[in-house]
Amino acid sequence: MDMPMMSQDVMQEHEVKRYFNILRESVIRSHLTMTVVFLTFANDVQNHAVPEEMSMFLKSKLRKTDLLFQLVDGKHWGIFFLQSSVVEARAFLERIFNILEEEHSNLLVNATITEIRNNDVSFDTLITQNKQLLTKIGQKKWAVEEIIDYQQPPTEHVKVSVIEQNQIFRQVLEVAISQLVIPHFSLEVSTYEDGYSFFQSNNYKSAHIHLIITNDILPRKNGFEILHLLRAMPNGNKFIIYMMSERNSESVAINAYDGGADEFITKPFNLRLLEAKIKRTFERLWL
Amino acid sequence: MIELSIPFLLSAILVMLTVLAVFIVYILFQRSREVRFNKARAVYLQTYSQAWYAFLFQDAEFSIAMIPRGKAQVAAVEEIFSSYLKNVINAEVTNKIQNSANQYLKKFYAKDLTSRFWGVRMNALYRIADFRINELLDEALQFEQKKISKEEYFQLLKIYSILQPEIFLKKIKEARTRYSESEYRRLFILLSDDVFNQMFDDFYNNEQNIQLAIIDTTAVKRNMQFIENLKRLLNDESDEIKIRALKGLYEIGIVDEIDTYIPFVTSNVWEIRLMVAKIFKYAPLTYTYPYLEQLLQDENWWVRSQAAKTIAEEREGVAKLQQFIAHADDQYAIEMVQETIVRKQGNR
Repeated sequence: MDMPMMSQDVMQEHEVKRYFNILRESVIRSHLTMTVVFLTFANDVQNHAVPEEMSMFLKSKLRKTDLLFQLVDGKHWGIFFLQSSVVEARAFLERIFNILEEEHSNLLVNATITEIRNNDVSFDTLITQNKQLLTKIGQKKWAVEEIIDYQQPPTEHVKVSVIEQNQIFRQVLEVAISQLVIPHFSLEVSTYEDGYSFFQSNNYKSAHIHLIITNDILPRKNGFEILHLLRAMPNGNKFIIYMMSERNSESVAINAYDGGADEFITKPFNLRLLEAKIKRTFERLWL
Repeated sequence: MIELSIPFLLSAILVMLTVLAVFIVYILFQRSREVRFNKARAVYLQTYSQAWYAFLFQDAEFSIAMIPRGKAQVAAVEEIFSSYLKNVINAEVTNKIQNSANQYLKKFYAKDLTSRFWGVRMNALYRIADFRINELLDEALQFEQKKISKEEYFQLLKIYSILQPEIFLKKIKEARTRYSESEYRRLFILLSDDVFNQMFDDFYNNEQNIQLAIIDTTAVKRNMQFIENLKRLLNDESDEIKIRALKGLYEIGIVDEIDTYIPFVTSNVWEIRLMVAKIFKYAPLTYTYPYLEQLLQDENWWVRSQAAKTIAEEREGVAKLQQFIAHADDQYAIEMVQETIVRKQGNR
């Protein structure tokens, strides 16, 4: 029985498994999409030097943040593309397929792509599913298929605090934000009339992403104090802070951005604009 | 020694106690009226805020129950409208507020304009302007015929500028009452660009406070279309107008050619030379450097300082300043340049 040809310089299946579990959890925690590509030969390879050649070729084409590994059978390779989506993975495959066709005509390859944006998949399932799919498309050449079962991120609970003295406008903001539909996020909106009542509520003490929409001028702890106190907290980066101001002044806006505000909005403003900014902010959270 | 009989003292005390009692009753009555007013306003806000939001923002049907009845409910509606206008830009909402104010608040403000209390009349004038109640324009014109205060006339001008700019342009020239530059600026900033341009076209038919306010308003509006008008004013005889026009051009921040500004490099007025040194910030150093070098050796500290800052802001600026030190004789200029280089390098 032939022994599989394992490359010395490439990580092996059993070594990668524990890394995968950590990477999968950081997908959720850091909102970083991970994409896994599996490749195998489309033709029957007898020469023992070919898998080694394939390993070296793939290794030479990867970025430092990508992780290449070889499966235990020696005929499949996997690559973890961190912070990358299916689009980048497809571009990578197209690039290497072109090079292989031109420079390594003895290598015919098929590939599968799995984009991972949740933690529902185990390493063993991932390998089994991809190997099955690669077997299914085994008759083709230069084929790329996708597994889409793990593309949907879990719905994440997000806190939103509106800190505005004017009760009527506060209600307007509360209603407008509560009615926002943002895919993969559920918003819990709370309102406060000043910075003091916001801090008294202790609502800020949780690990959730927290969107703060505050006026700059407020009685009892104004917007700039809120900004300063939140940004000085050890987990200050979980806060997304929008500051609203009636002062149409560049220096106030610059102070707000210098203090750590993510957006500065001059009043009066269009509510649709605020909603669009919020939507875009949450869309950007997933890279 | 004054002798007071006991019956007299008792009568005096009785009278004073009666007066005091009347005051207390009056105060209690006023207080209970205020409490009732605030309660009625709060109840209206509690009950109808959401309905107004739905009507104004979500195209919900208008319910006749929302029509304000009495001053407390009018105050509540004012609070709702003002909150929206102050915080939200939405043409549809602004139109709906205008229509609702025309329909349901007009009669209250028309009555308030006839009040003998100045505060009540002023409040009505403010609201007419805020909610753009154009159906009260005739009442406003009639109100103007009465003997009114300077502040009331100012509010009327504001109303005209918003609701009927033609009347505004006519009235401002009549100069029935004179205002300060800052007050005129507050009026002009509200004008649309078209109306403001008409003010500019008629620049020299206005008194100086208005002229200066027009120029300063361009600096706030920062609109490119005012550049040519401001450049024309640079030929004016008045130094003050020249300085303000240069300031306006600096605030707009677009320099398409520098020939216009070159004669001012040698102006006798240091404020004019200072403004030119500032304006040159927006032109490439290749064209402006010879003039800025001249301004670096100016007799005035502010002009020298500004010229050095303007040069230092360009990428090659610090190198140019260092070259200047190597060749210059003027000790004052050299010190200024050294100071600017140190400051610039410190900011990096």
